[in-house]
Amino acid sequence: MIRTRVCASAVALAFSLTAAAQDAPVDDYDVIYAPAMIAPEATSAVLTEITSTADRQVAVGDYGVVVTREHGSEAWQQADVPTSVFLTSVDFASDSLGWAVGHHGVILKTTDGGLSWQRQLDGFQYIDLQVAYYQQRVNELEEELANDELDADAAAELEFLLDEALFRLDNATFAKEEGPTKPFLDVLALSADELLVSGAYGALLYSADGGASWQIFDERIENPDGFHLNAMQRSGETLFLAGEAGQLFRSNDRGTTWETLDSPYYGSFFGMYVDQQDRLWVYGLRGNIFVSEDQGDSFTQLKLEDPVNINAAVNAPANGLYFVGNAGVVAYLSESGELTEQTHKSGAALTDLVINDDGDLTLVGQRGVLSMPSSALTEKE
Amino acid sequence: MSEQQVAKTTDKSVFLERLIFNFRPLWVVLFVLLTVFLGWHASQVRPEASLTKMIPTNHPFIQNYFEHRDDLASLGNVVRIAVETTDDTIFTADFQKTLQEITDEVFFIPGVDRAGLKSLWTPNVRWSEVTEEGFVGGPVIPDSWDASQESLEQLRTNVLRSGEVGNLVANNFQSALIYVPLNEINPDTGEPLDYQAFSERLEEQVRDKYQSDDVKIHITGFAKIIGDLIDGAMQVGLFFLLAIIITLVMLFAYSRCWRSSFAVLSCSIIAVVWQLGIIKLIGSGINPYSMLVPFLVFAIGVSHGVQIINAMSTNRVEGHDRVMSSRLAFRALYIAGLTALISDAIGFTTLMVIDIAVIQELAIAASIGVAVVVLTNLGLLPILMSYTGISERGRKYSERVRDQDHPVLTLFERFSEPKWAYSALVVALIGLTWGLVQGQQLKIGDLDAGAPELRPDSRYNLDNKFIVDNYSSSTDIFVVMAETEPSQCIAYDNLEVMDRFSWHMENTPGVQDVKSVVYVAKMGAFGLNEGNLKWFSLNRNQYVLNANTGRTPPGLINPDCSMAPIIIYLNDHKAETLKTVVNAVETFNANYQQEGLELLMAAGNSGIEAATNAVIEDAQYKMLLWVYGVVIVLVFITFRSFRTVACIVLPLALTTVMSQGLMATLGIGVKVATLPVIALGVGIGVDYGIYIYTKMKEGLDRGMHLNECYKYALDNTGKAVGFTGLTLAIGVATWIFSPIKFQADMGILLTFMFIWNMLGALILIPALARLFARFGKAIP
Repeated sequence: MIRTRVCASAVALAFSLTAAAQDAPVDDYDVIYAPAMIAPEATSAVLTEITSTADRQVAVGDYGVVVTREHGSEAWQQADVPTSVFLTSVDFASDSLGWAVGHHGVILKTTDGGLSWQRQLDGFQYIDLQVAYYQQRVNELEEELANDELDADAAAELEFLLDEALFRLDNATFAKEEGPTKPFLDVLALSADELLVSGAYGALLYSADGGASWQIFDERIENPDGFHLNAMQRSGETLFLAGEAGQLFRSNDRGTTWETLDSPYYGSFFGMYVDQQDRLWVYGLRGNIFVSEDQGDSFTQLKLEDPVNINAAVNAPANGLYFVGNAGVVAYLSESGELTEQTHKSGAALTDLVINDDGDLTLVGQRGVLSMPSSALTEKE
Repeated sequence: MSEQQVAKTTDKSVFLERLIFNFRPLWVVLFVLLTVFLGWHASQVRPEASLTKMIPTNHPFIQNYFEHRDDLASLGNVVRIAVETTDDTIFTADFQKTLQEITDEVFFIPGVDRAGLKSLWTPNVRWSEVTEEGFVGGPVIPDSWDASQESLEQLRTNVLRSGEVGNLVANNFQSALIYVPLNEINPDTGEPLDYQAFSERLEEQVRDKYQSDDVKIHITGFAKIIGDLIDGAMQVGLFFLLAIIITLVMLFAYSRCWRSSFAVLSCSIIAVVWQLGIIKLIGSGINPYSMLVPFLVFAIGVSHGVQIINAMSTNRVEGHDRVMSSRLAFRALYIAGLTALISDAIGFTTLMVIDIAVIQELAIAASIGVAVVVLTNLGLLPILMSYTGISERGRKYSERVRDQDHPVLTLFERFSEPKWAYSALVVALIGLTWGLVQGQQLKIGDLDAGAPELRPDSRYNLDNKFIVDNYSSSTDIFVVMAETEPSQCIAYDNLEVMDRFSWHMENTPGVQDVKSVVYVAKMGAFGLNEGNLKWFSLNRNQYVLNANTGRTPPGLINPDCSMAPIIIYLNDHKAETLKTVVNAVETFNANYQQEGLELLMAAGNSGIEAATNAVIEDAQYKMLLWVYGVVIVLVFITFRSFRTVACIVLPLALTTVMSQGLMATLGIGVKVATLPVIALGVGIGVDYGIYIYTKMKEGLDRGMHLNECYKYALDNTGKAVGFTGLTLAIGVATWIFSPIKFQADMGILLTFMFIWNMLGALILIPALARLFARFGKAIP
């Protein structure tokens, strides 16, 4: 492992830098390889996503924390996790098989329903993967360019692609020095074998063997600015991908090719949800919520009164929906389109939620696990 | 004493006696001049409360703290003013007007760091939110403020968005906080901040002016504690007057002679004046701890003075003239007096083993005081008495009481009889057991919430409770200093270890919260990524980290970026909590060693207290060992018998054990204030034993039986011992009413020890002698 130590000058903290390379790691501690500390306060860590399997609720977050709770139980248990990175997303293919992703290029897998986890990929391996991939791309393109029968247009096109590939190869090679800096932001399990992981700066990975090996899919979508790919969702055989600056993509072949959709919004999307009526919800900055009843071809806008980020949605009773967002905002949208807004008393950013057997809400976010009775939203004041 | 010894001491005394009595006028003039000179200096003494003197400056924690003191200054020295409304909410035009006025008022108080001043009404308190274009925001007070309902609504919205709920606005919205950082050094004049003056201004210009039926003011902060401490210390001056008055009454009741009562009182007060003057001259001062010394010096002076007038009146009764009576009194007492005073002084000096400046100052002040008492009450007093003599009334009274048995003394006499002696010993054993069992619960350190220096129900602590209850901030702060190479304090590798450390500490029992530049970096990442919480993490890219920490508040990293404090907020400052925290830090340091990064303990009030506790815990046994070692050696040298040592020291040990039981029962911890008390109690307590045993031995030498020996001892010194015990107890008992908690604790314990030591000497010495007599010779 090669790491670079960069020194910051405090006088002008912003961007004045002097780099002093060190050939050997100063110490063994790396957040990627340090097992998560078993923490009495695990449920107070910053948590990002929570999901329900048939047996339990599973939430992931900061310091490699994964906490689980059997349905109907009050007590949370911390899972065995071989990393301490900040985890950003969790998804299950079945009740036992699931994946979690996070910062520093970490991908984890569980085969026991979330109680224990194994590391499948880390950022250093991810960088190696990228270097190999772009090196191969460069080789391929150079080979094609060497073909004398090319017409001028095709050659120009290939030149362009080669430049692009070289640029990405450079980046990946540089990243080898710096270490993994790009977080994964979402994981989508399509089956026991197929899964997609999306991340910052346009990262997209695909595995067809349950995470044993990974393919770089970044170039499968049209994302020249390298916008963050914040969220993925599936509706039957159709997949959706949403990102920074209103980016929206759709795939009908399990992620192999993606088409760019006309976005109803130029601000960032943070999440997507497909409800029980198969409607697609996309939401993000400043209380902006959009719904599509035609698989993303057209959208209708809904706006929350509070201009805060909306991060997650789930089906609510009576064909309604719950939304959660920053500043403790929890909203209920009734079937008839009426919005009821509440602020959780913590005022902390909320990023995800699940509904308990009794109908109450388990929320996660900046202050860890929180709860809210459903009556707070569905009953009129 | 044997005849031989008496003869020898008489020879010696002649010289000293001549030196004093042959030049009486000269001595009086000299004493007057010295008193005027030292009195003038004494009048310059001001009570001071310096933090550095109350802490163990040589402890590694404190050394680390001092090394980074300048960089940490901006963290700790803050005053918080909570303005509370009796209405439902602070969002009313009236309240906001008051808050604005108080903010303006505070702004102009000298010592306030105006740039750092924060309240809803300062422009540096802003709200912000993320939009498609980036951050937007503004001051929480809307630009269009006109105190209308709309303005108030806007203000409420802005407050909610500002994240100041729990910080500048109470969780229940019924009070708002003004956050007032102080400049330790006035930037204009270069003078250090006068805490007391500052505290007074806060009272006058804020509390007195704005507190009303609708508005309540709560003020906390180190400056306020110091201010209240000094105010409290001033009140102790009144107690001194009270002690003087009570003592005068007792002196008169004892002697029935105004002349000698005033003579004793004056000499004792002169001793105090000299002691204070000398302290000023040697550049030392008086602090809330060493303030005890004048009380002790006064009481010791009185108790020795009483011996002198006692002897004098006896001599007068026997027909000697004034001068001769004085000379004889001096001759008879100076050896015993010197021995007792020397044992006091040695007892005090054992306090020097405790490496805390206030305790050492107390030890020095007390030793000086005792030395001064030798001059005033063994030197000046006989001279004065040789002029004034004893009044006729006093002489007659003393003649009368001489011939009658005092009922109390008769009672004590019985304790040399087997039945009474063994009963007393059984009771003592029960007391010992109680003390030992209770003493198991004895805790190190301060046990009450808030500022432990002040009483739990003091206004300061009530204010503190209000702020702790209504705002999301603990006042018990333990700071770990993350030390790095210059400009490395936010290097990724270091921040990552600091982050791990923060999480480790957050999971330590007793820890509420941990804040540092790491938190700023993670919050920065969260904010700069459009408020997407999935970015709440450290990034390996140093450019990104630099940007994320761009808004680090001053104090969370030092100017050359070689130190970043990690602030750990605790539930309380109980010793166990602090120990758990210290252990957790040590465990982490042992497990995660990072080259170029050191996590050093400790600053913050709790960090300092952890160091103090460590020193106290260590000194506790060391000091007991020293005190008892010295006392045992002293008693052995005087009496050359281990049985005697046992007879005198065992009652003292019983008192020590029982006072520890009392401390545990009353919830008084072993701390800077209470540790010296044991040394003082034992040092002074041994006097009684020496007096009584000396007389008992005299009786034995004359061939008396044990009962007769003890009766003889009681007749000769019993009254004086009782009087001494009571005078000492009264001198310190007034402290029980001190507004300063630790002074009250000292008062309770010293009163208990002085009285119990006296009773122990009067009851247990004969009882133990009886017990030993059973197994051997009549008396050692």
